[in-house]
Amino acid sequence: MSEPAAHSQVETSTPKELVREPLVLNNRPLGWITNQVAGIVEGDMPKWWNIAFGVSFLLMLMSFGYIGYLITTGVGVWGLNHPVAWGWAIVNFVFWIGIGHAGTLISAILFLLRQKWRTSVNRTAEAMTIFAVICAGIFPGIHVGRIWLAWWLFPLPNANAIWPQFRSPLLWDVFAVSTYFTVSLLFWYMGLIPDLATIRDRLRKNAGQCKTGLDKMINKLKQFLYGLFSMGWIGSNRHWRNYEKAYLLLAGLSTPLVLSVHSIVSFDFAVSQLPGWHTTIFPPYFVAGAVFSGFGMVLTLMIPMRTIFNLEEIITVRHLELMCKVIMATGTIVGYAYGMEFFIAWYGGNPYELYAFKNRAFGPYWWSYWIMISCNVISPQLFWFKWCRTSPWFIFVVSIFVNIGMWFERFVIVVTSLHRDYLPASWGYYSPTQVDILTFVGTFGLFMVLFLLFIRYLPSITIFEVKAVTPQADPHSVEGGADRVKGGDH
Amino acid sequence: MSDAVTTPAQDSEESTNWRSIPQIAVVFGLVLCMYGLVQDKQQFAFSYLTAFMFFLSLGLGSLFMVLIHHLFDAGWSAPIRRYLEHFSCLLFPWLGVAFIPIGFMAPDYIYPWMQVADPHEDHALYVKKALFNKPTWYAASTLLFLFWGWLTHRLRYWSLQQDKSGTAEFEGKLMFPEHLIASFYKNFQGLPFEKDNQQVLCTRMMRIHAAYGVVLFAFTLTLGAILWMKSIQHQFFSTMYGVYYFAGSVWLTISTAWITARVLKAKGLLPQVHNLQFYHLGTMLLAFTVFYAYIHFSQYFLIWNAAVPEETFWYVLREQGTWAYVSWALIIGHFLIPFLTLLRIDVKLTNKVMVPVFIWVILMHYMDMYFNMMPEIHPDGPSPAVADLGALLLIGGTLIWVFMRSLFSHPICPLRDPRMGEAIEHH
Repeated sequence: MSEPAAHSQVETSTPKELVREPLVLNNRPLGWITNQVAGIVEGDMPKWWNIAFGVSFLLMLMSFGYIGYLITTGVGVWGLNHPVAWGWAIVNFVFWIGIGHAGTLISAILFLLRQKWRTSVNRTAEAMTIFAVICAGIFPGIHVGRIWLAWWLFPLPNANAIWPQFRSPLLWDVFAVSTYFTVSLLFWYMGLIPDLATIRDRLRKNAGQCKTGLDKMINKLKQFLYGLFSMGWIGSNRHWRNYEKAYLLLAGLSTPLVLSVHSIVSFDFAVSQLPGWHTTIFPPYFVAGAVFSGFGMVLTLMIPMRTIFNLEEIITVRHLELMCKVIMATGTIVGYAYGMEFFIAWYGGNPYELYAFKNRAFGPYWWSYWIMISCNVISPQLFWFKWCRTSPWFIFVVSIFVNIGMWFERFVIVVTSLHRDYLPASWGYYSPTQVDILTFVGTFGLFMVLFLLFIRYLPSITIFEVKAVTPQADPHSVEGGADRVKGGDH
Repeated sequence: MSDAVTTPAQDSEESTNWRSIPQIAVVFGLVLCMYGLVQDKQQFAFSYLTAFMFFLSLGLGSLFMVLIHHLFDAGWSAPIRRYLEHFSCLLFPWLGVAFIPIGFMAPDYIYPWMQVADPHEDHALYVKKALFNKPTWYAASTLLFLFWGWLTHRLRYWSLQQDKSGTAEFEGKLMFPEHLIASFYKNFQGLPFEKDNQQVLCTRMMRIHAAYGVVLFAFTLTLGAILWMKSIQHQFFSTMYGVYYFAGSVWLTISTAWITARVLKAKGLLPQVHNLQFYHLGTMLLAFTVFYAYIHFSQYFLIWNAAVPEETFWYVLREQGTWAYVSWALIIGHFLIPFLTLLRIDVKLTNKVMVPVFIWVILMHYMDMYFNMMPEIHPDGPSPAVADLGALLLIGGTLIWVFMRSLFSHPICPLRDPRMGEAIEHH
C-alpha cells in the first residue's frame, strides 16, 4: 500500500466531544496575559495581603522564638523519650521535603513529557518547592541538639580530624537536599529571567505616570533591581536559543533529583533493620508520596490564588482537573505501597514485622493510622467523579486532607515504629510538647511569608510560556497569529 | 471499507516468506523441548517457566502501554496502539494455554513448597498457607488470566469497533458488566454517553476500561510475579518485587514496540509512524532503563545494607559461583550499556543503534528472568540447556504466529482514533 493511500484511510479529524479544552480560556490576546500577570506585581496589594503577611510573619517569629528556646535549653523541651528518640523534627522535615517535590516535577518532568498544561502552574509550584525546602532544612539543623556543631554535618577538615559518618543516610540527605535546593533555585531563577525583563520594560514604560518624586524613585529602584536580576535580557534570538538549551539541560538534571531526594529520605528509615522501616519499596513509595503531597499543597495555594487575582482563565478548571488526576494516581500508588507493606509483613513470616503493622492499625496510635489511610488513600478516590475534580472548592477541601494525611504518614512511620521496642520494658508513648507543635505551626508562617512576598514581587505565572501554548502563538493558527495581538502589550 | 484496508499485506508475495519464520520456530522449539523433557524434566520445567515469564512480560507490558495511552489521552501513540493491543491480547488465551504445562509441572518440578506435606514443618510456608496452597494457587492463576483476558479483549474490541464507527458494519455492543460501568459514568460522572456517536462511544469505553484496569493491572501483575516467580524460593520476601517485574516488562515492551513500528513502516504497512513515535519510544526506553536500575538497585541496596539473613540469602545465592558474573552483567548490561547508548538524541531514530539495542534488551531481560529462576536448580552458576532455547522458540514462535495473524486480520493502524491527527500531522 502506498503511503498516501494508507493515510487516506485514516481519519485525522477529532469529534467535537473529544477536542482538547484550551489552556487559556476565551481566546484572550497575548497582551491580556501579560497585563493580567504583571498587573499583580505592579499594582497595590489588597488589604488581605497585608493582614495575611502580618499573621504569617508573627507565626514565623513564634517559630524562631521556640527554636531559640530549644537552642538555649536543649532538646529536652521536645516530647522525645525512650524509645521514641526521633519525633516531630524528622516528621516535619520529611513533610516539608515532600511538599517540595511537586515544583520540580511540574517544571522538569512534565517539561520533558511535553505536558503543555504545566505552563500555568510551574512558576508557583517551583517557588513553593524552594520555600518548602527552606522550611524542611530547619529541622535537621535543630534536631542535632547542639546546633553550634551543625557544621559537623558537612565533611569539613577540622583540628580534631572528626568526619561525618559517610555510611549514614542522614549525611546523604545533606548532599541530596542541598543539591536539590541549589538546582531548583537555579531552575526557578532561570525561568524568571524573561519575565523579570518584561516587568523591567513595563516599569520603564510606566515611569511617566509616576506623580510624586517618591514614586519616581521607587520606580527607578525597581527598574534597577528587575534589570539587575533579568541580567540584560533583551529577548534576542541568541538569548532565546541559549535559554531553551539551558532550560532543557536543567530539566534533564533536575529530573533524577526529584527521584533521588526522596529516595534518600526514605533511606533514612529503610536502611535500618527496624520493623516498619525496613522495606524495599520505600524509595519509589516515598517519591510517589512526595509528589502526592506536593500537588496537594500546589492546589491548596493555587485555588485561592486564581480566584483572588482573577486568573481563572489562565489557571483553568482543566488545570485543576489534571492535577487532581495526578493526586488520584499517586494516592493510589501510595495505597498500593501501604497494602504491599502489610501484605509482605504477613507473607514474610517475621512476627516483629507483622506486629509493627498490626500495631499501627490497631495499637495506641490507631487514630493516626486511620487518618493517614482516610486522607491519603480514600479521599483521592473521590476524584474518580468528574464533579469532584472540577469543583474548585471541593478540590481545595480534598487538598487540605492530602496535606494532613501526608503529615500523618510520616508520623505513623516514625513514631509507631519506634514506640514499641523489642522488649516490653522499653515500650513508651510519645506526645508532642507545646514547643514541638508551635515550632511546626510557625514554619507555615515562614512558608507563607515567603510565598506572599513571591506573589507580591515576582510574576507568579510564567507569562512567556503561557503565551506559547495559546492558539495565537501557533504560526499556522487560523486566529491569525500576530494580527490578533496588534497593539497589545506583549 | 475495502478489503485492501483490512488486510493490507495479505496479497504481498514478499511478506509470506518472513511470516513463515514463527512456524519454523515452533517446530524447532517443539523438537528441542521434547528432547529437553526427556533429558531432564526439572531443567525443562524451569526453562519453560523462564521463557513463559519472559513472554508474559511482553503481554503485560503491552497492556500497560495501551492503558496509559488512554489514561494520558496521548496523541503521539495513536498509530502504534493497534499492534500493542494485539500483543496484549496474547495474554489470553495464548499465554493462558502456555501456562497449562506449568500448572502440570508446578508441584513436582518447580515449586518446592508444593512438596511440603505438612506446612507446620516450614515456618515461612506456614505463615502464608492461606495463599500458598495448591487450590488457591491454581484458582488465583486462573483468575489472573481471566481478568487479563477480559481487559485486553474488551480494549481491543472497542478499538476495532471504532474503525467501523459511522458505517453499517459497526456492531459495538456493551457486554455485562459494561452496562453498569457505563451507567455509572453517565449518572455520576456527568459524561454524555453518546450512543449515537459511535466513534466517541468507543473512545469512552476504552478510557473506562483503562481507568479501573490500571489499578487492577498493578495488583494482578504483582500477584503473578509473586505466585509464579518469587514463590520458587518462597522464603524470600520483598515489597518491591512486583514493581521490579513491572519495570523489566515495560522495558522489553518499549524496545519491541520500537522495532515492530520500524519493521511495519519498512514494509509499508504502517506509514503513519514517523520520527515522533520513534523518538518518544526511544526516550521511554531510556527512562525505563533508568527506572529498572533504580528499582533493582533499591531492592538490592536495602537488603544488603540491612543484612537480615531471611532476605539476604536470595542475593547471596546469586553472588555465588559464576552467578556473580551474571549479577555484574546485569548491572553493566541491563543498565550501563543501554543507558550510555541511548543518551544521545539522534540514536533513538537510528536503525544501526536501535536494532542492536533491541537484541540486547531481549538478551538482558531474558538474563534477568534467568537470574530470578535458575539459581534454585543451579546454585553454582548458570547452566545453559537445550530446553532453554526450545522453550523460547516454542512459546515465542507460537505467540509471534498468533500476533501476525491478528495483525493482518485487522487494520494495522487505528482508522478513527480521535488523536490520530496529532500523531500524523505534527511530524
